[in-house]
Amino acid sequence: MRRREFAVLAGPSILVMVGLLVLPLVRTIEWSFQKVDYGSPGSFVGLDNYQEAFSDPRFGKAVIFTVILTLIVTAVLLVAGYVLAVLVNGLHRAKPYVLGLLLVPYVIPQIVGATMFSWLFNPNYGGVLSYLIEKLTGAHILWMSETWPNRVVVSLDVIWAMLPFAMLIIVAGLQGVSDEMIEAARIDGASTLRLHLSVIVPSIRGVLGFVALISIMDVVRTFDALVPLSPQAVQIGNESIMLYIYNVAFQNGGQNLGLGSAIDVLLILLIVVLLLPFIRGVAKETRAG
Amino acid sequence: MSLSRSRVSALAAVAASLTLVATGCGAGSKTSADTAASVECDYKAPSGKTDVNVLAYNSSSVDPYTNTMVKSCTKGDVTVNHQPIDFAGQVQKTTATLAGDTGTYDIIETYSFVIPQLAAEGKLEPLDDLVDEYGDEYGLDAINKNMSGAMTYDGKLYGLPMQAQMLIMAYRKDIFDKLGLKPPTTFAEMIDDAKKIQAAGEVKYPIALPLLASADIVTAYDAALGSLGQNLTDPKTMTANLDSPQSKQALEALLSLKPYMDPQVTTFDQPAVQQQMYNGSAAISIMFSGRMNDLTLPANSQYADKMAFAAPPSVNGGDVLYDTVSVDGWSIPANAKNDKDMLFEMLSSSVSEKASKASLPAAYPARDGMVTDDSMPFAAAANESIAKVPPSEPYPWTAEISNAITPIVANVVLGKTSVQDGMGKMQSEANKILTEYK
Repeated sequence: MRRREFAVLAGPSILVMVGLLVLPLVRTIEWSFQKVDYGSPGSFVGLDNYQEAFSDPRFGKAVIFTVILTLIVTAVLLVAGYVLAVLVNGLHRAKPYVLGLLLVPYVIPQIVGATMFSWLFNPNYGGVLSYLIEKLTGAHILWMSETWPNRVVVSLDVIWAMLPFAMLIIVAGLQGVSDEMIEAARIDGASTLRLHLSVIVPSIRGVLGFVALISIMDVVRTFDALVPLSPQAVQIGNESIMLYIYNVAFQNGGQNLGLGSAIDVLLILLIVVLLLPFIRGVAKETRAG
Repeated sequence: MSLSRSRVSALAAVAASLTLVATGCGAGSKTSADTAASVECDYKAPSGKTDVNVLAYNSSSVDPYTNTMVKSCTKGDVTVNHQPIDFAGQVQKTTATLAGDTGTYDIIETYSFVIPQLAAEGKLEPLDDLVDEYGDEYGLDAINKNMSGAMTYDGKLYGLPMQAQMLIMAYRKDIFDKLGLKPPTTFAEMIDDAKKIQAAGEVKYPIALPLLASADIVTAYDAALGSLGQNLTDPKTMTANLDSPQSKQALEALLSLKPYMDPQVTTFDQPAVQQQMYNGSAAISIMFSGRMNDLTLPANSQYADKMAFAAPPSVNGGDVLYDTVSVDGWSIPANAKNDKDMLFEMLSSSVSEKASKASLPAAYPARDGMVTDDSMPFAAAANESIAKVPPSEPYPWTAEISNAITPIVANVVLGKTSVQDGMGKMQSEANKILTEYK
């Protein structure tokens, strides 16, 4: 490809990336060292914003909550997504219809889905699931105001919203596993479990890595679902990092953009740390391929 | 490329569906455009195409005014635009639009709580000269003086009042009649009533207050403190009153209601409390008046015809109620680029007599003499409430202090912080803020 062709083809993408990714990132880093109000130039405050973030116990709690949520949800997404994908992949004529149905949670805006989800556990709005669980177990659980029950609700909602994506990508991966290899494993006497663990899963390792990568990035940025699902997230320690950023930077007309930017930079670093194993894996596969 | 007839039909159907969805979302509130009045809006139009952007949150009581303005003042080349938005969104956009030399909005909905801060920062246009010029034309002399006072800072009017919201108590008359109860006038009586309702097996958690930990809970604390005769701050000495004996009483008063409220009450905002009244899981609630008309609509609840209203109780007896008044009005941002006279005529038309009448009974209009038993089912309660409200605190620091102490009040009510520790922390936060204003 000639230089000119390359410039014409790649130029627009590079421009968009610089405008929408690089410039905001540079501005975020710049603001993280400043005191910034809307509409006025910031004033340099050194590491004050970072110091403030680290000295706030809420930040530590938000990091722990976010990391735990990310790890649990990603693990469930990989396992449940795989099982669901295998089941869907086994379908024939019904496959497109079932796929379409399963994708509904993914296309519903998160805030809407989370609001509807919260009603399942909120007796004030019907609370079908909380009612059934109380009938079955006799336990009156405060799903919205107690830390761990609320964490279960939040996790279930995020899983519900993201499972279709995981399933869809894994279904695509399963289509690439050769029938001959599966047939050979069966002839060799492999059980169903062994077939999946030793043949199919290693064959789609790259796809699973990709699902994990995307899931981690999405779950770490959990924000809007918490608004309806965890109305007192701050008090019960269920504030995600993104919600914490919103609360300190913008809530009630606040303008702590410098502090918000500093926490944002720390969040980016956290995402990089969480993704490092997967990025290395993908890079290794790319080199090998 | 030609499209087959069936494809064209399908595309038309999709387009129609999307339009319906979009307009459905755009309606934004239950009252929507059917409460919009057609009123005179006789501004001098500028030459050329002009857009006037209005920022106002959607609610049953604000929508009639916004819709009237949009309907009556859009004409010729001038278009008045309003996008649906919730209250939190309005708060964010207000901060953003007022920040720089230019803003997105020409007219913004403001309320008495934020007027002192925005006015002190020079973000709003004083309206006194405009009132003098256009007052007769739009009958602005009938606007309640106290409400105008609530939108005034340092002797200048910064918001033209449209309506007021005060706390009102709604209760289930059928349950009260059955048990021979009277509407409570103190917190102690309210607790007694709640005990009897619980004992009779009528409602498990009879009392419902919006105590959302991230917002409403500080309004409750402030209302209780006000009822006990104390303000948040003393502007003369520039010190906070949050470690005072009244502050302790206010926090303890809120705590004393907990056994009679839903255990998840700190997750309930006003719509959630409305829901409790709709579905019969509460028998006594205290909310802003703008929420009351919804309780009387049969479409919302099977108990709509069983709702009755009274002024809220006082905490410990006496004439000052557990109450607060918020006056809503229209302001013109100082950075608005459109002609200020035109903007003022637009907002004046939306609070004209005809427009204000159209807002009843959802709103309590700012015009004198409009709220009567014929015009509003909770008129007597609203009038008594507004007459016995604690004094307002029109200082630039009030909003900032309220925001700062919200999580502390929440932790006290949730039992995560003791009353004593909570008071100490609130006092410290508030005094820190006051230092910046000294």
